[in-house]
Amino acid sequence: MSRKMKDKIVYGIIGLAALFTVGILLYIIGFIVSNGWKMIDWNFLTRQWDTETRYVQLPVLNEGTDGFNKLGFKIGKTIYQKDTDKVETTCITDIRNKKIKATLMTENRKTYELVPTDRKYTIKKGFYIKKIDGVYVHELPLEEVEQVINAIETDKVTLTVVRPGGGIVDTLTTTLVIIGLTLIIASPIGILSAIYLTEYAKKGVFVRIIRFATESLSGIPSIIYGLFGFIFFVELLKFKTSILSGSLTLTIILLPIIIRQTEESLKTVPQSYREGSFGLGATKLQTIRKIILPSAIPGIIVAVILSIGRIIGESAALLFTAGTTAHLFTGFLNSGATMTVNAYMITREMNNLEGACAFGIIILVVILMLNILSKLISKKLRKQ
Amino acid sequence: MKLNGDCIIKIEETENRFEASEEQVSDTERVNMRSNKKREIIERCVEKIFLINACVAIFCVIAITFYIFYKGLDPFYTSQSENSYSIIKFLTGIRWNPAGHEFGIFHMIIGSILSTAGAIIIGVPIGLLTAVFIAEIAPKPIKKIVTPAVELLAGIPSVLYGMFGLGVIVPIIRQISPLQAGQSMLAAVSVLMIMILPTVVAISENAIKSVPHSYKEGAYALGASKIQTIFKVIIPAAKSGIIAGIVLGIGRAIGETMAVMMVAGNVVGGLPDSLWSPVRPLTVNIAIDMMYAPKGLHKNLLFSTGVVLFVFILIINLVLNRITSKAGEKQ
Repeated sequence: MSRKMKDKIVYGIIGLAALFTVGILLYIIGFIVSNGWKMIDWNFLTRQWDTETRYVQLPVLNEGTDGFNKLGFKIGKTIYQKDTDKVETTCITDIRNKKIKATLMTENRKTYELVPTDRKYTIKKGFYIKKIDGVYVHELPLEEVEQVINAIETDKVTLTVVRPGGGIVDTLTTTLVIIGLTLIIASPIGILSAIYLTEYAKKGVFVRIIRFATESLSGIPSIIYGLFGFIFFVELLKFKTSILSGSLTLTIILLPIIIRQTEESLKTVPQSYREGSFGLGATKLQTIRKIILPSAIPGIIVAVILSIGRIIGESAALLFTAGTTAHLFTGFLNSGATMTVNAYMITREMNNLEGACAFGIIILVVILMLNILSKLISKKLRKQ
Repeated sequence: MKLNGDCIIKIEETENRFEASEEQVSDTERVNMRSNKKREIIERCVEKIFLINACVAIFCVIAITFYIFYKGLDPFYTSQSENSYSIIKFLTGIRWNPAGHEFGIFHMIIGSILSTAGAIIIGVPIGLLTAVFIAEIAPKPIKKIVTPAVELLAGIPSVLYGMFGLGVIVPIIRQISPLQAGQSMLAAVSVLMIMILPTVVAISENAIKSVPHSYKEGAYALGASKIQTIFKVIIPAAKSGIIAGIVLGIGRAIGETMAVMMVAGNVVGGLPDSLWSPVRPLTVNIAIDMMYAPKGLHKNLLFSTGVVLFVFILIINLVLNRITSKAGEKQ
C-alpha cells in the first residue's frame, strides 16, 4: 500500500475518533433533552419535589358568595400522574382570599382520632382535596363533591389536602444553599493558601508537602470523601446528616481546585508590579491587598465558577453527608437532597428516567452557562 | 576669593537648613517607628493566618487517611468477637451477603480492575486520537467546536452519564446479550470509557502541544509525512504526558461511583466470567450499603472496602508522581 493511502486511512481513523467524542456529547445532551423536556412546565418550576398530604381543619361559612362555596374556594378537576396511570382528581382552583390558613391536625396515637394542633397550615391554589370529613371526594364527579360540601352542617370541617409535588423548588434551594455555604467556607481558605504558596512560602520541604497534599486531595474519589465526611462531620462532630456536613465535605473537595486556579492567576501578575509596590515603600500585606489581589480577581472568579460546577455535579460525596430526600431548606443542620442527588434517587428508586432527565436539563443548562461564563472571563484575562 | 566666600556662606546656610529638617525627620520617624512596629506585628500575624489556611489541605489529607484506615482496619484487629472479621476471608471471599455474615470483596476488586481496564483499552486510543486531531490536524473552525465539546464532556455530572447509560447503553446491551440482561460489565466499561475521554484528551493534548516545534520541522525535513511525524516523532516525544493522562483516567474510572452504580448490575457474589455478566465495583459496594447498613461490623467493613480503594488510588498517585517528576527532570 502506498504511503499516501496509508496516511489517508489514518486521517480517517483520527477524524472518526474526534467525531465519536463530539457525537457522544451530542447524543448525551440529545437523550437528556428529548426525554426530559416534556416534564418541564410551570408546575415543574414552581412546585416542590415531594407530595405532601395533611389533615387540616377549617371554619365553615354560613353560605357561599360570588361563586365561592361554603369553605371559601372554588373546586375543579385536574389530572395527575399516579404511578403509570393518569388519574382525575378534585382540586382547588381559586381561593377567595388568595390562601386559607387552616389548623393542622394530627392523629392521636391511641385512638386514631384527629386532634387539632396549634400549628397553622396554608392551603393554596392547586392543592388536591382527598377527603372531606372522612368522605373520599378524590375521584368523585364535581357535582357530587359540591353536594358533599353543601351538606356540611357543622361549623368546622376536616379536610385531607394534598400539596402536589414533582417540582424542582426544594432541591434547587438546597443546591443554592449548599453552593453558598460551601463557597463561603472554601474560598477564603483556598485563596489564602494560594496567596501563602505564591507570595510568602520559600521553596522547600514545606511547600512540597502542601503541594503533595493538594495533589493527593484532587486524586481522591468522591465516594471516599463521602465516607470521611460521614465519620468526621456526621458522626464525630455530630452535625448529623445535614447541609452543613455536606458543605464541609464539599469544601475539602473544592480546596485543590480553588488553590490551583488562584495560584495560576497570582502567578500571572507580573513581578514588576510587586517590585514597584515595594519600591514605593508598601509593605507585603499592602502589596497583596492593593496590587496583587485586584489583578488576580478574574482568575479567582474562574475558580469560583469551576467550584460551582463541581458542587452542582457532585453526588457520591453527598449521599450520606447531606441526605437523599428532598426537603425545602429549613436550617443548616437539616438534611436535604441537591438536584443531582434527587435525579439519581428518582432514576434508581422510582425508575422515573423522564423526571430525572428534567432535572438533567436544568443541570446541563446551568453547567453550560458556567462553562461559557468562565470562558469569557478567561478570554478577557488573556487579552489583558 | 570673594566668590569663594559666598560659596562657603551658602553651604553653611544649606547645612543649617539640613539640620533643621533632620530634626523634623526624627520627629516623624518616632511616630513611624511606632506604627512600623504595629505594622510589623500585623504583617506577621497575617502571614501566620495565611500559613494556617495553607495547612488545612495537609490536615485534610492526614485526617482522611487516618480516619478511613482507623475505621477500615478496625474489624481485623478488634478484640470484640461480634465485630471482628478475618482479613483473608474479606480479601478472598467472593460473596457479599451481610444477612448471612459473609463479607468477601474479591469479586469487587476484580470487577473494579476489569471494568477500569476495559474502559482504558477502548477509551485511551479514542481520546489520544481526538487529542491528535485537536492539536495537529483540525482546522481552526472545527477545533473551535471540538475543544469546547471536550470541556463540556468533562463538566457533565456522573449522574447524567449514569442516566444516559441506563437509558441508551443498557437497552442496547439487553438486546444483544446472551444473558438478556443489560446491566453488565460491558455497560460499565462503555460508560467509564466515555467518562475518561475528557481527561485523556485534555492531558494528551497539552503534552502534544508542548513538544518542541523543531522536532516536527526535523521530521518534515527528513521527508516524513504528517501522519508519520505524528506517530513516529510527536507521540513518542509526548509519551510521559500521555501516560500521565492515562493514569489520571485510571484514577477517575476506578473511583467513579454514581454512573457505574446505575449500569453495572451490582450483583452480590460470583466472579464475572464475561463482559455480559453484572459486576459490583468497590465504589458501588460502599455507596449502596452505606445507605442502610446498621452500625457495627457491616458498616466498618464498608470502610475496609474504602481502604482497599484508597490503596489503589495511592498506588495510582505514586505512579503519577513518578511520571511527572521524571518528565520534570527531562525538561
